[in-house]
Amino acid sequence: MMWGQYSYGLLVVLIAAAIAFIALAMETDDLHRFLLLDLIEIPSLAVIALLGTDLAEALVLPGLTVGIAEQLALSQIYCVKERISANPVHGLNIEVIAKADAPLIISIFLVVYGLILSGFTGGGVAGLGLVFFFMSRGYKEDLNLLEMASGISWAVWIFAFFVFMFLPQYWYVALMCAAVGIVLKVTVKMSLVGTMWGKGDE
Amino acid sequence: MIIRRISHYLCNYENIVPLFAGACAFIVLIGILLLPIQYHNDQLYPKTIDRNSTLDPYDRGGPPFAQATIRAQYPENSPSAGLVTSYLTPFSQFLADTTPHLGTTIVAHPGGILDEILYNTRGLDTVVEPTILFIAFAIASYLYRKGS
Amino acid sequence: MSNLAGIPYYVLEFGDELVYFTPYTITLFLLALTFTIFVLVSRPERQVDIAFGGDAYTTKEITISEMRFRRFMAIACGLASMGAMVTGDIFNFTLFTAMVGITNVGIVAAVKSPHVQNAAFQYGLVALTATVPLFGGAAVYAAATGSLSMIELAKGTLPAVPFVAKAFLVLGVIGEGMAPFYAAKAEMFRAPGAPYVIMCSLSSLLIFLRVIEVVMLG
Repeated sequence: MMWGQYSYGLLVVLIAAAIAFIALAMETDDLHRFLLLDLIEIPSLAVIALLGTDLAEALVLPGLTVGIAEQLALSQIYCVKERISANPVHGLNIEVIAKADAPLIISIFLVVYGLILSGFTGGGVAGLGLVFFFMSRGYKEDLNLLEMASGISWAVWIFAFFVFMFLPQYWYVALMCAAVGIVLKVTVKMSLVGTMWGKGDE
Repeated sequence: MIIRRISHYLCNYENIVPLFAGACAFIVLIGILLLPIQYHNDQLYPKTIDRNSTLDPYDRGGPPFAQATIRAQYPENSPSAGLVTSYLTPFSQFLADTTPHLGTTIVAHPGGILDEILYNTRGLDTVVEPTILFIAFAIASYLYRKGS
Repeated sequence: MSNLAGIPYYVLEFGDELVYFTPYTITLFLLALTFTIFVLVSRPERQVDIAFGGDAYTTKEITISEMRFRRFMAIACGLASMGAMVTGDIFNFTLFTAMVGITNVGIVAAVKSPHVQNAAFQYGLVALTATVPLFGGAAVYAAATGSLSMIELAKGTLPAVPFVAKAFLVLGVIGEGMAPFYAAKAEMFRAPGAPYVIMCSLSSLLIFLRVIEVVMLG
């Protein structure tokens, strides 16, 4: 068989994966194991990227998301396991920011701009605006509202999927639903980061 | 006897991560030995790059609301495939007409090949993926609330 | 289509991803469905600690919120297993398998005992490691054959799937389902709540049975 570009690429990636796996097998500290896993995810994404088609781009995204999601859950389990409950990160405890109108204006600008952009980056920009706002104000309300918004965006996304599958002639509606769903989802996820941090200054 | 010893080693859960990582490393090394893997040239969703387009490297759509050809596995199952690919919001269209490098950020806009594959032809993947995210999020927030 | 385990009775089309019901997959699907319904309607067991050498015994308390959370995870696990049983796409199968892995972690992690938490963390590390060979295997499938559809692979017209891809896939499923580590799993099962922990075992058994069919294709 011929050694093509694909095989050379795979060789490099597999060597990287082997080094990472051996490191994980030798590591004994839990936190270090956890950090090494973050490293191991990268060769897995590289194997997918080696496909080199548009399909690869679409497969990297779920792969990445699954890795990040499991890390999120595992880090929380780690905190419970090690009884890490103190929250050393405080909000932006600057008196001027907490009172002035500027954070509000900047946040509104970022959210509006994010909604215009839509899609993944739009969600990121809008989320950044909300994170900044919550951090500067030391937001203390319960998370129910945000979680509900996250659930609704998920439902919108699923609805878009069914429109695509069973009513393909309404693809435009489905595309808009999916785009709005993803904006909501990314925004909510990022603003949750802001509120979790904001809780520190109680 | 040997089975009992193996089973005794396995029942200590501290050992399972090194064991599994070692198994992964072993399979990866076998993979390296078996290497040249023939890349199949007849791929789905092949990538074409038009360097002169302002949407480069994401331009594969043609004009908005016109159907582009998408090489899907079962094109008959997705009659609207190719429409999403070529779609741009008016704002994105404006940026594409006036700036030379919108292509580098086009993933941020609705439409494009990613949305085509993610929502339309391989939509089931995308349904499972946020569900996993949701589950992980539920675990983290349940533990977070219980801890505080 | 001779390589599929039986002729599909019914094929449900979701764009490029087909969901098919052969005698084999439908059996596994019904098994997962039955257990999910059991979990839905059953009440959790209450573990009893007996002090050795005396008459004293205590029943462990299970809070309502913990019970509800674990039931939610068990139902999600059942749905993920059902999806993994009938999907006809390699990458979709790996995603469902990853979902089974994380719901299993969730079922165990909700219990407040430090011992169980520690076991859940180790199991979570293995599940996270297993995503690497899973997705890697699926990607090599696509690169070597140009298709991810199991029905296309079963036709036998595509190039043969490399051994490495199959090995990766099986290894990934082993990691997500913890198939050979039942002894260690028994440690996790000190967590109370019978129907939910059984869902962990059943789901890993089911995804393992399915991956055997998957690697026999192509």
